[in-house]
Amino acid sequence: MVEVERNGEYVKVEQRFTSWKDLLKPITEKDFKPGFYHYPILKRDAEELGIPYRDWDPLEPDWHLPEGWKETFLNKFKELLEKHRQFKVFMDICVRCGACADKCHYYLGTGDPKNMPVARAELLRSIYRRYFTKAGKIFGKWAGARELTEDVIKELYYYLYQCSLCRRCSAFCPYGIDTADIVWRGREMLQSIGTVQRFMYISIAACARTGNHLGLLPGGMAGSLRNAAEDIYDITGVEIEVPINKKGADILFVAPSGDYFATPHWFALMGYLMLFHELEERYGFTYTWSTYAGEGGNFGTFASYELAQKLNHKIYEAAEKLGVKWILGGECGHMWRDKHQFMATMNYPLPKTLEDPVNPITGTYFENAAEAKIVHIAEFVADLIEHKKLKLDKSRNDHWKVTFHDSCNPARGMGLYEEPRYVIKNVCNYFYEMPEHTIREKTYCCGSGGGLLTDEVMELRMRGGMARAMAVRHVHKKYGVNFLCAICAIDKAAFPHLFEFWKIPVEVGGMMELVGNALILSDEEQERELDLRGNPLPGKGGEE
Amino acid sequence: MSFVYLKLFVADVLPYIAGIIFIIGTLNRIINWAKSPVALKIPTTCGQQKTLPFIRRTWEDRFDSPYTMLETIGRMILEVFLFRSLFRNTRYWLDKQRGVDTRWLWLFALAFHYSLLIIVLRHLRFFTNPIPGFLSWINVLDGQVAVVPPLYITGILALVALFWLWARRVLCSRERNISYPADHLILALVAGILITGNLMRYIFKVDLYAVKEVALGIVSFHPVSAAVVNQIGWIFFVHLTLVCVTIAYLPFSKVMHFAGVFFSPTRNMPNDNRAHIHINPWNPPYHGITWEEYYQMYKDQLDEIAENGYKVKPEV
Repeated sequence: MVEVERNGEYVKVEQRFTSWKDLLKPITEKDFKPGFYHYPILKRDAEELGIPYRDWDPLEPDWHLPEGWKETFLNKFKELLEKHRQFKVFMDICVRCGACADKCHYYLGTGDPKNMPVARAELLRSIYRRYFTKAGKIFGKWAGARELTEDVIKELYYYLYQCSLCRRCSAFCPYGIDTADIVWRGREMLQSIGTVQRFMYISIAACARTGNHLGLLPGGMAGSLRNAAEDIYDITGVEIEVPINKKGADILFVAPSGDYFATPHWFALMGYLMLFHELEERYGFTYTWSTYAGEGGNFGTFASYELAQKLNHKIYEAAEKLGVKWILGGECGHMWRDKHQFMATMNYPLPKTLEDPVNPITGTYFENAAEAKIVHIAEFVADLIEHKKLKLDKSRNDHWKVTFHDSCNPARGMGLYEEPRYVIKNVCNYFYEMPEHTIREKTYCCGSGGGLLTDEVMELRMRGGMARAMAVRHVHKKYGVNFLCAICAIDKAAFPHLFEFWKIPVEVGGMMELVGNALILSDEEQERELDLRGNPLPGKGGEE
Repeated sequence: MSFVYLKLFVADVLPYIAGIIFIIGTLNRIINWAKSPVALKIPTTCGQQKTLPFIRRTWEDRFDSPYTMLETIGRMILEVFLFRSLFRNTRYWLDKQRGVDTRWLWLFALAFHYSLLIIVLRHLRFFTNPIPGFLSWINVLDGQVAVVPPLYITGILALVALFWLWARRVLCSRERNISYPADHLILALVAGILITGNLMRYIFKVDLYAVKEVALGIVSFHPVSAAVVNQIGWIFFVHLTLVCVTIAYLPFSKVMHFAGVFFSPTRNMPNDNRAHIHINPWNPPYHGITWEEYYQMYKDQLDEIAENGYKVKPEV
């Protein structure tokens, strides 16, 4: 047992190791710990998404599994094996070398051996061996196989929702076994028997209906953008018009819907609006928001292929209907796994109306987005800065000592490492990296991704974020870092709680907030005295 | 009573049975994998993607996040021959809350696999006549420790590495937890092969000319006679039996990772997703609300946005 310090108090991490036999023995509802298991799906969401629904409680012994659940589950298993080569390969080739074991932040924080990536994959592999391989059929548990029982379903439900699909283990695996992919498939199987968690399906159903995870209606989204424009007016004195559903604009902008409401996402939203306004004023740039495709994120990528497609399809359809040339995407984590790796494949062929992604201001052709026609805001802003198209005052961010958190998906699912750093270094004077083992492809998750951003699993999230929190505490103590920059809406929602739990006095915010702070608007008449949060700028009034 | 029939069986029949099981089993596995389509292009990007010209991209990034076919091949070569991903290995010290480099696993895994490779190559001199030049060179290089007969470094190194890897599975609680009987079985088989091989070379010496006759007989489909097998000591037959059992077991074991690594889409696909769209052969059509349906659902609010000229302004 290890105790991790938390401002005088200690958080216990108990590691208990048993034998391989216990790896195959399912845990049941009696072992479910509060703060680790999810609430089940709601009736309304299940009905809207065509998922079999029943009334059940994870803490009751009888889960009322639907009739023929075993067959349904195994048929889904077979179907997914036939649809996904990587899934088949990943079921077969693991040698259990253990290289992934302590790479998982949930394992580190909870000490639960079944949270090792290898053990998480074994949850499904053991079933695979029993029903799809000869050795497993003949030798049973001696070949690492186990029967599919109701208890096994309970265990799958417990552990498949303790993974944030961050793919950190995949970077260390000598065969590149992608636990995120395995968990995604496993959740798809659970979905076939209606045994899924609540939080992400609320968002998926809302997004399928309204075009954003929050379920904002068009008027609500418009109101939100108006409020942001008002906040910008209060700080800069500039009146900004925000285009919505405007046909004939050059670019469609999509951001995660958390940006419309939550803090500190809000300041990044202000940053987007200020940047686009400046480009409009100086260079005649035109863009639009869409209420139909008002969501960049895609919780469907945590659930199933079909649900992922259900959500990301809207972006291309909106782009076609609005007649834009290409799409620009905001700061979001799993959104970019989806936008970079899934979206174009899931919606192929793309609308013919889209054109080459060329930055209308600098003329730069985004070759790496040639076919999918979607560019990341960090790529876009880095290009503008490189061509000196923005007037920036770095000193306005002098009150921040910044560190950058590589969000899992832009890092390991896209390779976006240098662009945000380039932007941050151009808008901030004080930038410090966290230890090498915790950044870039080795970055730790915030602990709340992959559909886990829900209060009932708070303890899991706080423990899962421990490794990241410790790295932040390290740079906070060493360099006095007081601002964690993250380009992910879930990070921005998760880190404030995480830092409060681990008692780390560091603020969290987006890259575009820092850009918005530093950006000098051409039609800004008075000297700005506040940053986007309403804090006095360094050297301007306030305490000095 | 002599074991001549048993010996004849091991020398003349068993290798073919093992070989056939291995070939059919392996092909079966590979064809089975290949039958499933690759739905999505999911490389694990462990380096900077190719983007704007002024964004720094080192040569490591090129292999860890390949953009072209050539870079992807480079990544596979590094992965297969140098265990690139394992070279990244770290260990997290929970009590100090930090990670440190731990490349022991990489070092011993590399030593183990390369020793086995060289041992297999060394054995080719039994199966060839005349012996190709490069095989003699391997023997000379491997036998640099000058005792009589020359001590083969790899024969010992493989055993040392194997026991290190095994000790890890037995002594480290974490690894013990995830080690199935199958994981120990394959280690036991390989250990048996290595031990009998070393014993045969240094202690219970056998008639190498007769052994070569058996080996040539296997590859040229000329079964050897009882006279030949009777010249060879029992340990050779133990060795050969273990080898045959192992070869026949491979297609059903985790050792298939040697073929599987080539099928792993997180490593064998380039990170050029947005530049070249991957096509999923079974991509289903979209089921959901269309633009028109959406308009009908929220007509009032959408019309209000239209009335305001498709824009919102701050109320100041």
